[in-house]
Amino acid sequence: MPLNDKIEELKKRKEEVLQGGGEQAVAKQAAMGKLTARERIIALLDEDSFNEYDMFVEHEARDFGMDGKILHGDGVIIGTGTIYGAPVAIFAQDFTVAGGSLGFMHARKITKMMDYALRMRIPLIGINDSGGARIQEGVNSLAGYGEIFWRNTLSSGIIPQISVILGPCAGGAVYSPALTDFVFVVDKISKMFITGPEVIKSVLGEEISQEDLGGAKVHAMITGNAHFYSESELECFEQIKKLITFIPWNNTRKARSFEPKEPKSTYNISEIVPGDPKQPYDVRDVIRAIVDDSDFFEIHELWAGNIVIGFGRLNGETVGFVANQPMVMAGVLDVDSSDKAARFIRYCNAFSIPLCTLVDLPGYLPGIDQEHAGVIRHGAKLLYAYSEASVPKMTVILRKAYGGGYIAMSSRHLRADFVFAWPGAEIAVMGPEGAANIIFRKEIMEAENPDEMRKQKVEEYKEKFANPYVAAAKGYIDTVIEPEETRKMLLHSLEVSSNKVADRPFKKHGIPPF
Amino acid sequence: MSLNRLDNKQLTAFIPGTIVDVKVKVGQQVKQGEILVVLDAMKMHNRILAPMNTTVKEVNVKTGERVVKGFVMVVLD
Repeated sequence: MPLNDKIEELKKRKEEVLQGGGEQAVAKQAAMGKLTARERIIALLDEDSFNEYDMFVEHEARDFGMDGKILHGDGVIIGTGTIYGAPVAIFAQDFTVAGGSLGFMHARKITKMMDYALRMRIPLIGINDSGGARIQEGVNSLAGYGEIFWRNTLSSGIIPQISVILGPCAGGAVYSPALTDFVFVVDKISKMFITGPEVIKSVLGEEISQEDLGGAKVHAMITGNAHFYSESELECFEQIKKLITFIPWNNTRKARSFEPKEPKSTYNISEIVPGDPKQPYDVRDVIRAIVDDSDFFEIHELWAGNIVIGFGRLNGETVGFVANQPMVMAGVLDVDSSDKAARFIRYCNAFSIPLCTLVDLPGYLPGIDQEHAGVIRHGAKLLYAYSEASVPKMTVILRKAYGGGYIAMSSRHLRADFVFAWPGAEIAVMGPEGAANIIFRKEIMEAENPDEMRKQKVEEYKEKFANPYVAAAKGYIDTVIEPEETRKMLLHSLEVSSNKVADRPFKKHGIPPF
Repeated sequence: MSLNRLDNKQLTAFIPGTIVDVKVKVGQQVKQGEILVVLDAMKMHNRILAPMNTTVKEVNVKTGERVVKGFVMVVLD
């Protein structure tokens, strides 16, 4: 056969694979409001940057009528490409081919890409859209999942791993996304659960729809399994691209530097936080008043809103922000907010992203449900994560910092490198009302007018302790600054700490309370 | 089974506290983000906001009143 004919044959073979599951299946995918796997990859990556591998892989199943059945690419597309010029490895399950079910070769393609991403130290993106294990391939499917989970864990903290749920992701399949760093969901398209509505109905007799059990909103607002929520696949891809600009390729590199930009003048840092500590405000505006171009990229926006986490840049460099949010549940720490912040702190530490913590909280949320939900061990995650983190840590106490909350929020005692306080900061063992009631219990009880005495004692306590100067006198905070000085001080802190050494004793790994 | 946690038409107290302001009446049209009630709890005047554009169906609190945790303060249509 002449070479030209061989090239023609290659083209024909490629053409065939590009059909995916065929016209009908592709039409069905579109009718569900979903892009195909290949369309998704093309929409996400830089134009013409995608190179596909293992296009001609065939499954090896012989039982249950699988012999001779053609499944193009075995239901998954793998390859490499770039996002804003940054290299990424990607796999996308193709629901049009056997429902994107995971068989032996399907899993081997995914693990090949995972090995590649780890070896090349580049981010891995997985697009999940699969009916689950390919039943006809039996235990080989299960082995495939196990191999994926093992690699997720091996790569954790070395390369960024991103999961995009664009279809069903049920049973064992959900554990791969759960092991990765960031999970993206899209309204009405994403479905994640361990046991689906049918099993729940047959075992428990409870009826619930797929959407109400494990739809995008459920995971973005209730469970916290998803970090990013969007209304459409294209919006989701924009979020992923933006995330990629903030994180490094791997744990030995720095995130890309950008041209430094001043915050927008619409955010006046002196006017955001009310002087009265009982008045709420949106702490994200404080972050926007600090970061370059006022560009704050929030993570977990819809879950545990009483703490805010996300990325911004200072002088062009990525910084991870953690901030109490006074306008949601008074900014208390609780089970979910501790969990949310702790994992983010560990992410930033693993990828050498400096941390900036903004403090304004009344403390931990009291309640039987919180105590019984294990607020002790969840709250401990936050202490652990801050104590463990060796990246530069900067803390700004905006207003209230009481009790355990003060210690937990990246205090000097957990080895924050820089602790600044605004003049309105109140750093004390507890709030004035509570403290006065305990310290002056006898005087108040024995007074002629207990209410008057209580008021007087609360004022006394406020004057003496509800300020930043008691902590400053001990060196627990480094300096009291005016709000306008915040950005300047943070930029300087970063500059000073660029060669930070934080040696810790050798250990195999710590045992955080998870 | 309905999904109560996603149904944000019933606005409840996240913790016991005192109502320091009631800004709306039954039948009133409210815009998303508008303050409905202010709840003093956890050292904060917590603003209870309308999660969407809608009408107020029930107001179950008065200024100065104490509410228990989980108390339904306002119901929206």
